[in-house]
Amino acid sequence: MAKTYTVRSKGGRISFQFSKRTFSILLLLTAIAFGLFIFSLSMGSRFIQPVDVLLHLIGQGEGNSFVLNTLRIPRTLLAVLVGASLAVSGLILQGLIRNPLASPDIIGITSGASFGAIMFIVFWMGTVPIAYQSLWAIAGAFAVSCLIYLLSWKKGVKPITLVLMGIGISAIMKACVTFTLVLSDTMTTTKSYIWLTGSLYGSTMKDVTAMLPWVMIILPIVMVLARTMNVKELGDDLATGLGVKVQAKRLFFLLMSVTLAGVAVAFAGGIEFVGLMAPHVARMIIGRSFIALVPASALVGSILVMLADLVARTAFLPLDVPAGVFTAAIGAPFFIYLLYQQRNR
Amino acid sequence: MFKKSFWSLLVVLSIVLLAACGSNSSNGKSDSKEKTRTVESAIGSTEIKGSPKRVVTLYQGATDAAVAMGIKPVGVVESWLEAPTYKYLRDDLKDVKIVGQETQPNLEEIEKLKPDLIIASKIRHEQIFDQLKEIAPTVATETVFTFKDTVKLMGEALNQEDKSKELLTKWDDRVADFKEKAKKDIKNWPMSVSVVNFRADHARIYQTGFAGSILTELGFEGPKNVKDKKQDIITLTDKESIPQMDADVIYYFMDDQDKAVEKAYKEWTSHPLWKQLDAVKAKQVHKVDEITWNMGGGIIAANMMLDDIYDRLGIDK
Amino acid sequence: MRSLIKKDSSKALLFAGFIVLMLVFFMLSISLGQTSISLKATIHAFLQFDESDPNSVIVMTSRLSRALIATVVGSSLAISGALMQALTRNPLAAPDLLGINAGGLFFIVISIVFFSTESLTGYMWTAFLGAAIAGMLVFLLGSIGRDGLTPVKIVLAGAAISALFASFTQGLLIVNEQSIQSILFWMAGSVSGRSIDMLIPVLPYILGATIVALLLGRSINVLLSGDDIAKGLGQRTLLLKITMGVLVVFLAGGSVAVAGSIGFVGFLVPHIVKKLVGPDHRWVLPYCAVVGASLLLAADLAARFLIMPQEVPIGVMTAVAGAPLFVYLVRKGLKTGG
Repeated sequence: MAKTYTVRSKGGRISFQFSKRTFSILLLLTAIAFGLFIFSLSMGSRFIQPVDVLLHLIGQGEGNSFVLNTLRIPRTLLAVLVGASLAVSGLILQGLIRNPLASPDIIGITSGASFGAIMFIVFWMGTVPIAYQSLWAIAGAFAVSCLIYLLSWKKGVKPITLVLMGIGISAIMKACVTFTLVLSDTMTTTKSYIWLTGSLYGSTMKDVTAMLPWVMIILPIVMVLARTMNVKELGDDLATGLGVKVQAKRLFFLLMSVTLAGVAVAFAGGIEFVGLMAPHVARMIIGRSFIALVPASALVGSILVMLADLVARTAFLPLDVPAGVFTAAIGAPFFIYLLYQQRNR
Repeated sequence: MFKKSFWSLLVVLSIVLLAACGSNSSNGKSDSKEKTRTVESAIGSTEIKGSPKRVVTLYQGATDAAVAMGIKPVGVVESWLEAPTYKYLRDDLKDVKIVGQETQPNLEEIEKLKPDLIIASKIRHEQIFDQLKEIAPTVATETVFTFKDTVKLMGEALNQEDKSKELLTKWDDRVADFKEKAKKDIKNWPMSVSVVNFRADHARIYQTGFAGSILTELGFEGPKNVKDKKQDIITLTDKESIPQMDADVIYYFMDDQDKAVEKAYKEWTSHPLWKQLDAVKAKQVHKVDEITWNMGGGIIAANMMLDDIYDRLGIDK
Repeated sequence: MRSLIKKDSSKALLFAGFIVLMLVFFMLSISLGQTSISLKATIHAFLQFDESDPNSVIVMTSRLSRALIATVVGSSLAISGALMQALTRNPLAAPDLLGINAGGLFFIVISIVFFSTESLTGYMWTAFLGAAIAGMLVFLLGSIGRDGLTPVKIVLAGAAISALFASFTQGLLIVNEQSIQSILFWMAGSVSGRSIDMLIPVLPYILGATIVALLLGRSINVLLSGDDIAKGLGQRTLLLKITMGVLVVFLAGGSVAVAGSIGFVGFLVPHIVKKLVGPDHRWVLPYCAVVGASLLLAADLAARFLIMPQEVPIGVMTAVAGAPLFVYLVRKGLKTGG
């Protein structure tokens, strides 16, 4: 078939196959992402010509180094990473729970991270270096996810149990957070609210390099294992029949999803909706093949977060608004459009 | 090949990263022959050359202190109320650029101003200390309401310690004067005091913080019935808890513009438990300005607050 | 579905018992608090109100209003939960889970920030509007896809819409910092600090809706046996469903307007009740009213004593208390249907 490309490794253990059309769409998405990346780097308090930005990136630029190197590049790169992580995390969850509405924030991963981060802000901020905030967030995400998984375990984990448990535990975490905020001083409350909304303010290269390995390692793994995801989407019985060790694989995918989401939230705060929106949009463009959906969702997620952050830091100058405000604002119209599109399917 | 596009993206990312790491040019073109001083503060050690002229203040108290010392900053953060700057400082801050909010100052805007000194606060800005240091020498206080530390730090950083010492001495003199006169003129000295804030759906007692620390310095005692003296804000939702506000004198503030707040205020103060408070019975309930007592956070505000206290208690200055 | 109590006479007896329990909590709510007021003083306050006596004032203003509000809101939330579970034929429905509360809250915040609404009537109507819109969105969202409205989908849709509205609310508050401080406590769920005249505008709607709901018990039973059967028996199912929807909007929306966002009550109480008396809605609905009220009264009492003199927002109380029960129910497995 001339319409598809096949990639096979030696021995045929790893093989991808997808259509030319898919490939060109991915290429287009990459181009859009890159274009937005350059555009973001040119926008801000001071407009830098895109040409100069490109020159700077290959080391030939002059001036602008602080603004680009210290401020815009780390921030935009982090937006790319965060968007990609959240999107793929959501994609995995939607496949695991076999439902297009699953996402890390709804299942409770984000609420666990929020709890960890808020505890840090309330009790240790000022006395302990702020770098620990991310650690607490990740720890919170993992702890809560473990809790949800364990509580759902009853000779195995059924998707619907996981969902409900997640929503319930999420509600408790949020209540604890609210409790803490209501009783704390104004400064803590404001800081916490900003974190909860999600913000890329103050991102540094250190944050980027801390997050990069996670994304670079996990995303390819997800793609390689994606085959099994496709099969699992066919349902428990069929999956077991075809020899997939359902529970173990399920746990592993869940773990990856939690890690991706936890790491993203640790650096960007409680940014919501990317994990829900991006896979949907990708699915609308690319279709059902999980393997192609991974890069597609990642790209869409990156675009979404870059866009949200761009608007957040330029639309209200000199104010720097948290990006999370806009992921919701941008996400919602898409959501409604989605509803409209799918009503007859 | 999808693989190709993935790899090309990876390559692009790597190039960008390498470029960013590679071209890490430092800004410091040290050709100034002025003295370099080292100032210690919550941010660590900061090297400052000569007398900085272009100052950016990143919290309300610092803006206030700058004006007190006769300096016009090139950039300040937005005020909480009466935006963009408080009315009591506005005349001295004409044409000053706003660089965003105290909680998230806009780093690009600050950089645009090419400052040579930044005054920040650890509790607000720890996250961006590294970035600030790259823009200009930065000093920081631990928190925002310790106005005396702010003045002292700014004096050091700006190389104007005589001015800062003068301001602080004047303050100490006023405090001593107040304490003396209070002992003489007020029968039930030391008085206990409550700083109360009425809001639309609850009321608060501010114990520590800006107003609290000043009142303690002046010799006042805290509210009579509050057990936990260290808690900075006590939130009261039910009028049953009015006895918590009890003290010899009550200073209250609120947002006058909000009708819901007005209504709440009337409800709280017409309750019989309110009428039983010592301050109410002694007619020592005074309304004060929210901005000077809670938001300004600087030495000018502190002095204005002290004026208020003198006036309300009927003591001559 | 097996219930613990089978005989009608036992059900009636237990019902009376719950009413007594509710009244006990009500009275406790009025006499206990930061200032202990003896039963004698309480009765005295009711009969001979003396404005200068602080105990009288406390009883008639703070205590009475919060007890009344807790009763009304607890009952409304429980009934609306039962209605939703019947309407969607889904045990996982509840006003807080399906975004109805979040929608009402968001619309109220919008009206405060953009239109400076102050009157409770204003809050009330915006809450109704928000609740209705949120409900419709969840319904639509949960229906996409070939298999229609499944339990998992509606729960996820509800969580998504809740999160959406919560996110918007948060965003609004960030940009408008002063507002955070004013409404934070109310948003977290609170029955305190409200005078009785705050309850008055909402009362007719809530009372009316409650009465209508109670009367619909029999019709709901019929509906639950299946749309076709119901239609076959001559029931106008569409009309019934729309009515139930409207009732939910009034009950849940009204609760949000008065007391902010209180979770878990609407979900748990119907389940507890159904385990006790079975799926007959002629029993379920009145039981929900009384058990819901008792629950919230008890939660309010606890909320007052935990960190005296400050209070725990009641929404936090219900979450912390309701969560273990929620976990237990989910593990046990929820039965579909009524």
